[in-house]
Amino acid sequence: MGQNTKDIGEAVNTPGLLRSVPAGKGGGHDHDILAGCRVGDRSAWRALFDRYSPIVHRFLATFGVPPEEREDACQEVFVAVYRSLTHFRGDARLSTWIYRIAARYASRAARRRRVRTMLSSLLLREPLPPPAPDASERTERLRMLDELVAKLSPKKKLVLVLFEIEGLPIEEVAQIAECPENTAWSRLHYARAELMAMARKRLKMKTKSSAAGRKGRS
Amino acid sequence: MSNRAWPDGDDPVASELRQALDEAQHRVPDDVTVRRGWAAFGSRPTTGRRAARLSWFAGGMASTAGLALACAALLWPRPVGRPQEPVTAQAPTESRRLTLEGGVEAELQHTSVMRIEGSDARVEGGAVRFKVPHRRPGHPFVVRADRYRVVVLGTRFGVAVASDRRVDVDVDEGVVEVWSSDVRLARLEPGQRWNSGVSTDKASEDETAANPAGKAAEKETETPELPAAAPPEKLVPSPGMKIGRPETRRRQSARGAARVAMVATPARSTVESPGAARAALASGDAPRALEIYRNLALKTGPVAENAAYEIGRILNERGQSSAAVAAWRRYRSDYPNGILRVEADVSIIETLARAGETDDALTEATDFLRRRPDSERRGEIARVAGDLYRARGDCRHAVGAYHVALSASRARDVTEAAGFYRAACLVRDGGNNGVDALRSYLRSYPDGRFKRQATELIEQATSKTAAH
Repeated sequence: MGQNTKDIGEAVNTPGLLRSVPAGKGGGHDHDILAGCRVGDRSAWRALFDRYSPIVHRFLATFGVPPEEREDACQEVFVAVYRSLTHFRGDARLSTWIYRIAARYASRAARRRRVRTMLSSLLLREPLPPPAPDASERTERLRMLDELVAKLSPKKKLVLVLFEIEGLPIEEVAQIAECPENTAWSRLHYARAELMAMARKRLKMKTKSSAAGRKGRS
Repeated sequence: MSNRAWPDGDDPVASELRQALDEAQHRVPDDVTVRRGWAAFGSRPTTGRRAARLSWFAGGMASTAGLALACAALLWPRPVGRPQEPVTAQAPTESRRLTLEGGVEAELQHTSVMRIEGSDARVEGGAVRFKVPHRRPGHPFVVRADRYRVVVLGTRFGVAVASDRRVDVDVDEGVVEVWSSDVRLARLEPGQRWNSGVSTDKASEDETAANPAGKAAEKETETPELPAAAPPEKLVPSPGMKIGRPETRRRQSARGAARVAMVATPARSTVESPGAARAALASGDAPRALEIYRNLALKTGPVAENAAYEIGRILNERGQSSAAVAAWRRYRSDYPNGILRVEADVSIIETLARAGETDDALTEATDFLRRRPDSERRGEIARVAGDLYRARGDCRHAVGAYHVALSASRARDVTEAAGFYRAACLVRDGGNNGVDALRSYLRSYPDGRFKRQATELIEQATSKTAAH
């Protein structure tokens, strides 16, 4: 017992060990994590959550889920993953499957929001207040992008977000959007064109209003 | 520099879009959001098929009921909506008492004028005293006075606007903070008073002494006595408002610590929210973030809970480990079943171990292992406990802790280290079990990071046995 502990390696190896796995960089391969999740290993679920929740969070944010609903939405997506994991055959990548669940949830949530707004206006209630911007993560540019992307149709929005922001290859985008690859390309083409046109229009209006402001001041 | 294929071109629109897309690509939640998400997901009850069927049934019933209610609401005779236009109330001759939306009582003093703007109020002249029942977090009652905005969560106080637009605030009950831009000008307790000149009590002086910017802001104006109220301009009927008997003003003792923040417009930059704290952290202003979190922690609900945890995290990042541990321990005592409880436990153990407080860290770790037999962090904590025992030279307990780690976790970084160190401890205690365990380690991890040390230990142990 009196021996020095150094002979069996470094003394205390705590730093870093206890930290959560960094966002999106969870250790282990997907198939190891999946195998662990299927047998109910909590650490495997933790690894899956740590790896994919930031991605789901970002996807939901860009897809127009307001900040106050985002955490709950992320929860719902992972509950859906939990419930359906036994049905996941492994034909597609795990990320593709999770994206598909998140996309379905985001579309449903958008539909629910539309219905809620419509009902509250029908029932003569005050319209729902616009979501408060999150000061920490939203720059002016991001706000602009979110506003423009929100104006796209859901199908075009999905393809654009997956390809341009999530950086997925078009075949994976097509799998998630459940459409042929050519259709995905076509939607992407139109989504890009619309986004560009809206951005140009916005810049034009901004220039006009700032010129008018200068004129008014002078 | 962006390497996107689209949008191409050098025009400002394309470059702006490119940058926006790049920023969107890097938009990820912070660690606490992920941890909080996991805490909620990990503790969520899972429902079986029967429950799912029941939930479908309940959902169906709820939808039918909702539809019926919506139809009834549509067919019901429509009430006359509340006027959207602001309504002006005034008390030309004697004080007047009004009950506003949400049970807020406003007492207009003689010759004062107040406008009701939706659910908020604006004091245009004279003095008005308010009694605001406790509000839900996130649903404050707002009183505007000149360029200030008084956000009220529940307290009893007065706001007066003089004819030269100076604002006076005094408090009967609760605590009021007066803000201008990012600077807190004063913190008023019951019986204290502030006006937009120099503060008139010790509390304000203390605040400004601690905050030179506040002092500078105060020096901009003189310290006037509150002049006579502005004369009323016009009398407009105010539908929907109840008018009661004039009531004399009462001073009451402090009960609770309801907080009111008085902020200058634009208010967004000064509102104390987790977003503002994160923004302050992102811009490197940790003291400001700490201050925001400390104020948020005084409230109730999830925001306060999160803030209580975040205080520890910021202190730890600033190298104040003992203060951080104290903050997390405070979190634990305030929220014994909090959603970040496990994270607080783990953070405390990690910080203590890092700071070399081996005994405290071990006590915390063993306590954690005893209290949380099902935690997914059990493997990690057991491994740390093993390391701490090993550092103390207590191989017997270290072996036990590593054994717990091996049975609780499947993560390679935990099992590999625990497997090797357990075997090494067994070798050091003497006996063949250790060598067998080392061989087993080498079989499980042929290219493991402790391969060289394991081989050396086996050689040492076998040569020692041969010498005997």
